[in-house]
Amino acid sequence: MLTSRNRNEDRSTAYPSMASIEQYLMPDRNSEIALARSAAPESISRDAKVLVLGWRGYETAAQGKNGFVCMVERSWMAPFNSAEFWNPKVRVPQCFNPAAARSILPLSIKRTEMVLAGLSKAQMIDSIKAGFDNKELREPEPGAMCYMMSKAGYLNDALGHYEPHLMFYFPLTDKSSWGADLPDSPVTLNPQFQGGPEPITEFVVAVDKWSDGTVAPVM
Amino acid sequence: MRNRKFFAFGLSFALTFGFLMLRRMQAQDKAPSTMTSIDPYLMDRDAEIAMARSAAPPSVAKDATVMVLGRHGYETAVEGKNGFVCVVGRSWDAPKDDPSFWDPKIHGPICLSAPAVRSFLPIYLKRTELAIAGRSNTQIEAAIIDGIAKGELPTPEPGSVSYMLSKQGYLNEGVKGPWRPHVMFFVSEIDPKSLGSDLGNDVPLDAREETIGRYTTVDVPVGNWSDGTPSPQMTGGH
Repeated sequence: MLTSRNRNEDRSTAYPSMASIEQYLMPDRNSEIALARSAAPESISRDAKVLVLGWRGYETAAQGKNGFVCMVERSWMAPFNSAEFWNPKVRVPQCFNPAAARSILPLSIKRTEMVLAGLSKAQMIDSIKAGFDNKELREPEPGAMCYMMSKAGYLNDALGHYEPHLMFYFPLTDKSSWGADLPDSPVTLNPQFQGGPEPITEFVVAVDKWSDGTVAPVM
Repeated sequence: MRNRKFFAFGLSFALTFGFLMLRRMQAQDKAPSTMTSIDPYLMDRDAEIAMARSAAPPSVAKDATVMVLGRHGYETAVEGKNGFVCVVGRSWDAPKDDPSFWDPKIHGPICLSAPAVRSFLPIYLKRTELAIAGRSNTQIEAAIIDGIAKGELPTPEPGSVSYMLSKQGYLNEGVKGPWRPHVMFFVSEIDPKSLGSDLGNDVPLDAREETIGRYTTVDVPVGNWSDGTPSPQMTGGH
């Protein structure tokens, strides 16, 4: 399944290449389901579809009925130039609303398929570009957003579980149009995509509570 | 978030649900149909500029265009350079049957992003023009519906967002003040439940369909007022 192409890619980071797939899998399926659901308040996640990562990609572990989809993303959803692109500790619980499940989730599915198929970063980038060109992939639908309110996630070595927040997706735009990342602005830009290569902008708005209702520390 | 449903957000000062619905029904017949005078709605110009700017963090507001209400409509008081426009909204952006439709106490400071300036502000300015021209609440709403249907008025562009972080606002009789600091964005009309709104008290956003303007507003409360002080919710005081 893995080839030398996605190993030994970048010796300058702590995670220069893909680790063995076992390190990205969660051994207990129920734990992954619970972690995925922890991304959103119970009133959303209890009726959401849940995906878990298997040897061949994401598979449905629980059917939903409200259009939301919860999953635990892995490190390869980071920017391609991220030093933690192959960090096997990364676990990012997310619950996509229906608009994002249709227009953003396919990006996670595609990247994961390509990673498991052993494509190099360059190949993945080319394939994603082609996907947008041929309309296999598409811009975010209006209202596409996701919940990231889990206190059990691990976003990366620098942020840990970070803070509870919502993310909103838009066609590629400059962060200045939202006043994002300015001093005292409550909006930040997530550089996850931002044209590299996905033509998508993600804005982050922090909220005050974790999904379990406990108050988050002010960051 | 259930209690937040009793409050109004943004330039759409809609009073929603529960007892406010009852108040609305009771007050419908009492609401005047037209503006009797512009005077009660006017403010000291410098105070209005300051209030408008207080809607956003200084980093956004300091370079924003500021518009103030004059006798003939909104006029530019300060030219900006970052694409944002800050205004103090008045009551006539409410639905036509809202008892607060002509309430001069209502002041909603808001700073709109460039896409929102292009695709939302024209609707509000049109409402203002019609209100000052003596049109009734019913006529104003009908004109907006007609303008959108004819393509003369816009619907929200992607990225239409606004800041409402001012402590100084008076959004409606329900909150008798500014509610909580929040970011509000506008998307084309979608079901609020598809954003998680109304699914439970634990959901940290409120969304509402504005059928007149054919958009949905999404309000996300944030931690601090524009002056950097924490909101009551963040300090456990809500």
